[in-house]
Amino acid sequence: MTRTSARGVLATTVVHAAGHGTAALWDVVAKGGSGLRRNDLAWCDLPAWIGPVPGVDECALPATLQRWDSRNNRLAWLALQDAAFRRAVSEVMSRFGAHRVGLVLGTSTSGIRTSEVAYDKRRESGHWPADFEYRRTHAVESICRFSAEVLGLTGPMVTISTACSSSAKVFMTAQRWIGAGLIDAAVVGGVDSLCLSTLHGFHSLQLLSEDICRPFDAERNGISLGEAAGFALLDCAPAAVSLTGGGESSDAWHMSAPHPDGQGAQAAMRAALAAAGLTAADIGYVNAHGTGTIANDRAEAAALRTVFGEQRVAVSSTKGATGHTLGAAGIVEAIVTVRALMEQALPPSSNLRTPDATLALDIVTAPRVATLRHAMSNNFGFGGTNCALVFSRSD
Amino acid sequence: MSSLRFELHAASVLAPGLASLDDLREACRRGTPPEPTAPLILPAPAVLPANERRRASPVVRLTLACIEQALQSSPFKVETLRSVFATDEGTGEVCDQMLEVIATTRQVSPLVFPNTVQNAASGFFSIAWRNRQPATVASLGLESFASGLLCAVTDAVATGQPVLLVAYDPAMTGPMRELLPITDHTATAWILSAAPAFAHVPLLGSFVLDLEPQGTTPPSAMPPWLPAAWSGHSSARALAALGLLEAAEGSCFRMTLGGQLLSIRRVAEASS
Repeated sequence: MTRTSARGVLATTVVHAAGHGTAALWDVVAKGGSGLRRNDLAWCDLPAWIGPVPGVDECALPATLQRWDSRNNRLAWLALQDAAFRRAVSEVMSRFGAHRVGLVLGTSTSGIRTSEVAYDKRRESGHWPADFEYRRTHAVESICRFSAEVLGLTGPMVTISTACSSSAKVFMTAQRWIGAGLIDAAVVGGVDSLCLSTLHGFHSLQLLSEDICRPFDAERNGISLGEAAGFALLDCAPAAVSLTGGGESSDAWHMSAPHPDGQGAQAAMRAALAAAGLTAADIGYVNAHGTGTIANDRAEAAALRTVFGEQRVAVSSTKGATGHTLGAAGIVEAIVTVRALMEQALPPSSNLRTPDATLALDIVTAPRVATLRHAMSNNFGFGGTNCALVFSRSD
Repeated sequence: MSSLRFELHAASVLAPGLASLDDLREACRRGTPPEPTAPLILPAPAVLPANERRRASPVVRLTLACIEQALQSSPFKVETLRSVFATDEGTGEVCDQMLEVIATTRQVSPLVFPNTVQNAASGFFSIAWRNRQPATVASLGLESFASGLLCAVTDAVATGQPVLLVAYDPAMTGPMRELLPITDHTATAWILSAAPAFAHVPLLGSFVLDLEPQGTTPPSAMPPWLPAAWSGHSSARALAALGLLEAAEGSCFRMTLGGQLLSIRRVAEASS
């Protein structure tokens, strides 16, 4: 594996259960807080905790974008209202040209909530709602087309859909496109929205906790679903904090259960270290995938112990704050990791009561100051897909 | 940009009336679409463990059969292949099943739910052949193949490893078919490389990709030797591009990709 070039993270924006903006996300995760609440969705009665984005139900897209209206695209729209992020995108577009800025976004279920409602209405009336446009609102491509329209980007684009690693893998694709000289900068990100398909799907697998999710806790018993939209602007040159490496792998094991020793996760983390030209000892913090299921946290802990050694690296999961945002988890947690490097502080695992001692990890249980040069973010998904990213400070 | 060169070492084709690359090349030479035949029979994939084999969804059957065909002429060991799966709606009838259940009982099957992810096919590929290399799923509507091809070639360029590219569209069923009129299963699997070290490994042809802003040159029309009904299949662009194997050096197939035009051009093979 050849060492990859550092790509600067110039700007980020994110909307999440705890509010709008990167600062609002850091505020809650840095304190070990949570944006989760008991399920009060009018359209779902499952006993669960959820992480809806404030304002999504009231959000109105401008008339010119109305045909794109879906819960997923509303989340993207809310995230793209961040003025500093938009200024940074405009700046790279004028520097390189709109056609030299790529767009690589991840999603798992895209705007399927729109089709859920349309199927209901079709059963009642016998025909599709007049304003229902599958391509613009539900299709996997929708989030890319919509975001390109909002941002005015004309470069190459793609949606990556590999379940819960989707918006981590977007960094890898963008890195390869920059490396091949196709583009000079990229908007990467991910969007996933609450829907019945995933709420009932995870419930059917008995992975949806009735309690708030407690990653790495001895009494953890499942996930809480959240929703989010996040974007990062990557430059071909390094910046104060840069993507310095990434690694991907497949478990080749099971569609919905991780390899018990986390072999695939180990391979992804090792590939990420190699790409960054680092050793395990160089990493000061890992933002774990940490979903809060018994098996996932156990497998990830096994992988972390194998790669880093027992109790050798500070680890936390921020899913207790945001919920598991599935196809958006990669970007949300990459943004947390970048922020940890900027703030020189480690976010604790939210909702933790009794850390699971059998995991033999240095779990961050309270806000911690750190001298942090390099940090890793892990994301794994159904289908045995794994991705680890390394971010580094330039100083 | 500089052109991205790649070598195509093996390719398979699976669609009604086109059961192999040879069938596709013959249709291309003949200039007319294959005669209408019965819908594809998709076998339960013998390569999967027995319990998974019985439950394999149509898209998993389609992609694994197509990959198996490509592997028969692959010069690379399957466990060394990185992969890119390119599809428009990559779950096929599972998506419709899920939406019907949500609209009625909401009793989602725990066996079906893991198959509702777009990376179900790539996940089962990795399980079937114990392939632990990275797998990516690229999607962009009718430009899914163009985006996947760009991902596959840039992956091969960046890593120096061979890459399996699978472009596919499972037939849609139920009300979803009214939204996404894909009536046939169509798929093709390519095994490609971009490293000088592989230039002399047996190959079908050499190509370069170019990316330019749209406007000056129009995208290529779909060729007359493919059924017109497949124009709504993203993977039909991949089938059309395979027709370049029957064309002279310098021949080109152009596809839109976002605001760009991606062209794939046949070039001379490296001299030995």
